[in-house]
Amino acid sequence: MPEIAELEQRLAGLRPDLEWPRTPDLAARVRARIASPGVVRRSWFQSRWALAAAALLVLLAALVAYTPSREAIANWLNLHTIITRVNQLPSPSPRPSGSIGERLGLGVQTTLDDARGKVTWKIRVPASLGNPDEVYFQSGPPQGEVSLVYRSRPGLKESGQTGVAVLITEVNGKVDANFFGKMLGPDSTLEEVTVNGHKGYWISGKPHAFFFTDAAGNFRDETLRLATNTLIFDDNGTIVRIEGDLTKAQALEIATSLS
Amino acid sequence: MEGRPTDGELFSRAQRGNEAAYEEIVRRYQDVAFRTAYVITGSAADAEDAAQEGFVKAYRALATFRTGAEPRPWLLRIVANEARNRARSAGRRHQLELRLAERFRPGDAAPSPEAAAMASEDRSRLLGFVNALSQEDRDVIASRFFLELNGEETAAALGIPEGTVKSRLSRALSRLRLRVEEGARA
Repeated sequence: MPEIAELEQRLAGLRPDLEWPRTPDLAARVRARIASPGVVRRSWFQSRWALAAAALLVLLAALVAYTPSREAIANWLNLHTIITRVNQLPSPSPRPSGSIGERLGLGVQTTLDDARGKVTWKIRVPASLGNPDEVYFQSGPPQGEVSLVYRSRPGLKESGQTGVAVLITEVNGKVDANFFGKMLGPDSTLEEVTVNGHKGYWISGKPHAFFFTDAAGNFRDETLRLATNTLIFDDNGTIVRIEGDLTKAQALEIATSLS
Repeated sequence: MEGRPTDGELFSRAQRGNEAAYEEIVRRYQDVAFRTAYVITGSAADAEDAAQEGFVKAYRALATFRTGAEPRPWLLRIVANEARNRARSAGRRHQLELRLAERFRPGDAAPSPEAAAMASEDRSRLLGFVNALSQEDRDVIASRFFLELNGEETAAALGIPEGTVKSRLSRALSRLRLRVEEGARA
């Protein structure tokens, strides 16, 4: 029986003689793609999720405007979020077609009581909406993340983007690290707001890109999705995101009713 | 001699919207990215699409690349993720078909024809065993030994935590050893 070390040596010995398929000239093609975004290779349309993504593509194409340049518009450690302005949003990652939790990358479904037992901080629930229809928990951020899902109700319609009326995500941020990133295209606006005396931001307009970062702050490509209007603020150490096809007034009303 | 720009210089230029700088980054990494995608998808056409799409996505996400970070794992993670999505949505498991180009390398001691034939057969058999492993085993072995990725890069390419690479590699090698042993007895 060959020793593992010998096997490793033999495997490494194969390397110089491996016959790889010829690497295509990607550099030139990628250059062409980034210079004229919106040109999509036919083969891309052949994949199964392409149909669903095609609608988004139309949207993305509308965001394409001028020569790419990017500007970091905000990077608040207190909100654990990197926000950057880009001229074209990256295409969202294909999502599994399962539950809301899977589609939006919210983690595992649980109950409010269970979630309360899993975190050391107080989960805020908006009095204006009452108890959520679904609750999700995930352990990505060090102290966990809890998402409250609200389906449509009078005056609040489900968003075509997320499939839920209101999504509230709470994460406790005692550690100075970035957990989230947001990329805003030219047709999204960012506005500073105050929620119960706390600094926050209101992002509205065309959908923007939302993604998680890993512990080192690197972009986790697989988590990228498009997000609709979002209010984000820091409520005494808990970062709250309220997302939905909401007006600013609706989002602020929900935010101020959190307790 | 005027040195060529470092990766770091190219990344900061590309982050400022310099497309030519990004083209150069792609040129530097297209081989390893394409081959990584090939190992994952087992198809040159899918690997080409995945690598191209991955590089375009990475460009759009350049704002999230941290100054001073290693570009290889960052790029490989995005490209490999594209490759996995393609492999998944194609709904099939490709058989990897890596082959050996047998050629006489200058500087080799000229072996006897019999010894050369034997060595070549052994090597092809070993590669055949690797090709026939489960995707998980094959991917980690190919990443480490054929693509020469380090632990961090392998983790990025396979989409697993870096701490898992070592144990996965060790299990894969044990299974490969078993195959080799069984093959020798057969």
